[in-house]
Amino acid sequence: MLDVTAQDAPLVQMSEIYKHFGGIHAVEGVSVDLYPGEVVGVLGHNGAGKSCLMRILSGAMLPSGGKIYVNGEAADLRSPQDAKHYGIETIYQTLALANHLDAAQNLFLGRELKTRFGNLDEARMHAEAQEALRQLNPNFKNLKDPVAKLSGGQRQVIAIARAIYFQAKVLIMDEPTAALGPSETAMVADLTLRLKNEGIGIFLISHDMHDVFDLCDRVMVMNKGRNVGSFRIEDVNKDDILSLIIKGTLPDGWTPRGASK
Amino acid sequence: MSDNQSSTDMRLRPSGSGLRFLPSGSSLHRLSALLTLLLLIFAFSFTSPAFFTMNNGLTVLLQTSVIGLLAIGMTMVIITGGIDLSVGSVLALSGVVAGLTIKAGVPVLPAMGLGIVAGAFCGFLNGLVITKMRITPFVATLGMMMIARGVALQLTGAAPISRLGDMFGKLGNGSFFRVVEMQANGFPKVIFPGIPYPAVLLIVMALFGAFLLQRRQIGRHIFSVGSNEEAARLSGVNVDRTKIWAYTASGALAGLAGMVLMSRLVTVQPNEGVMYELDAIAASVIGGASLMGGVGSISGSMIGAFIIGVLRNGLNMAGTSAFIQQIIIGVVVIGAVYIDQVRNRN
Repeated sequence: MLDVTAQDAPLVQMSEIYKHFGGIHAVEGVSVDLYPGEVVGVLGHNGAGKSCLMRILSGAMLPSGGKIYVNGEAADLRSPQDAKHYGIETIYQTLALANHLDAAQNLFLGRELKTRFGNLDEARMHAEAQEALRQLNPNFKNLKDPVAKLSGGQRQVIAIARAIYFQAKVLIMDEPTAALGPSETAMVADLTLRLKNEGIGIFLISHDMHDVFDLCDRVMVMNKGRNVGSFRIEDVNKDDILSLIIKGTLPDGWTPRGASK
Repeated sequence: MSDNQSSTDMRLRPSGSGLRFLPSGSSLHRLSALLTLLLLIFAFSFTSPAFFTMNNGLTVLLQTSVIGLLAIGMTMVIITGGIDLSVGSVLALSGVVAGLTIKAGVPVLPAMGLGIVAGAFCGFLNGLVITKMRITPFVATLGMMMIARGVALQLTGAAPISRLGDMFGKLGNGSFFRVVEMQANGFPKVIFPGIPYPAVLLIVMALFGAFLLQRRQIGRHIFSVGSNEEAARLSGVNVDRTKIWAYTASGALAGLAGMVLMSRLVTVQPNEGVMYELDAIAASVIGGASLMGGVGSISGSMIGAFIIGVLRNGLNMAGTSAFIQQIIIGVVVIGAVYIDQVRNRN
């Protein structure tokens, strides 16, 4: 099924990942890989295990079994810090921002810039944040407001700016447009393509079929914790994917639909 | 002191680029609290002629220093979204540890240091129980409140430890710039009573606390943990370490407050400091800290501590009974939080 021409080593390779919560098997032997400059859609029902799998990659959750390779090397991701060390950045559905802090404080949260004496370098953090945010959205003005006062789109821009500023090589986007309006959704889609063209590998979790077909190069569908299919996006249509999401199998008599011979 | 503190805090914050003429949010709260404090001082000056005097001012400073020290640590804990009910008992236990150590023949300074370490250790245990055993701060520190008090009473047999020497009384009773003149009749005359050590200690610790909260990474992390714990964790903040740090600081400050209080009495009282935690919480809340976490400031809490201190002192001088005082302070706490909520709703 997977006919990726072996060019470089995959950026990320997750191999036979398992995650159990007591008797519940959230992820069962899932393998997936990601190459530089491609967007891989991770699809499935709520509770299919896709968020769980991505949380394991972002270091927020420890797998019960399996191996993760980053650039061909085995990586032990025991905390979000570890994942960030490997250039794996995550944009969460909940946006993961501290509401009482402002944009710059959130952008640098956990990786604050300091002066020689170890004090917080507010001036530099503010300037850098301003620069990073302006690149993404020239209209971003209210940097001093606590992020609770910002719109969903602005909050999303902060989350994305954080990933870019720290030079993400792998970006996990967990339903990045779920809380956004139409124009903001378009902006995030644009950004996603821009990042992809810069050679960043992106895992996109989404329920929106439009997003998936517009942005993804490949899709991986999960059902009840298992990987039930990985395809190039040209080889499947909406109905195939829905069938995989709902039933866990392809429609009867399916053949690759796309350009691949 | 409070003016000082709040202006320092203003300076610590990054200078705003846009419109910053109108205070907003927490600074507005602090401003209104400061105004309340000034109003109280103004009002009490009329009810009692002895209120607005140098001597009484210094007395208020001295009386407020213990609650003020507790409020610094309490504010840090409250900003993380927690609460520390154990500070009153930890204060007593620290005093007992210092007292027993002195009785064992150790000099006063190292003994007091050990007392503060004992307080910090209690706070550290609070932090461990809260983060590793995942017990809510309310329950964990309620337990520590009983444990520390029990240990203090058990170690002393509930009896005060006295005759600790003059040196032990220095911290609580000494002062800077005290000017005493010998009169012709051979009696000394106090020209300037001096600035009490505890007041200076409070100012130093408050400035240090504000510095840590505003200018250091640990302060930023304390705010982030209280604001959105999950976001902080996912951003790479070590949430457990941050919380343990805050509770340890609160315990250490409770120990320091214990040294000041016991030194002032020149006696270690194992049943001292009951209900002090509530005064410290009240001071933080009056000063604008939110029990939901993520909001609060040392300068606000200092204003809060002085509002309580001035209220107590002024009401005492006006001859109001201790019972009525409790009622009034209770009303002030509810009023302060209510006003804050009404403002936040708008």
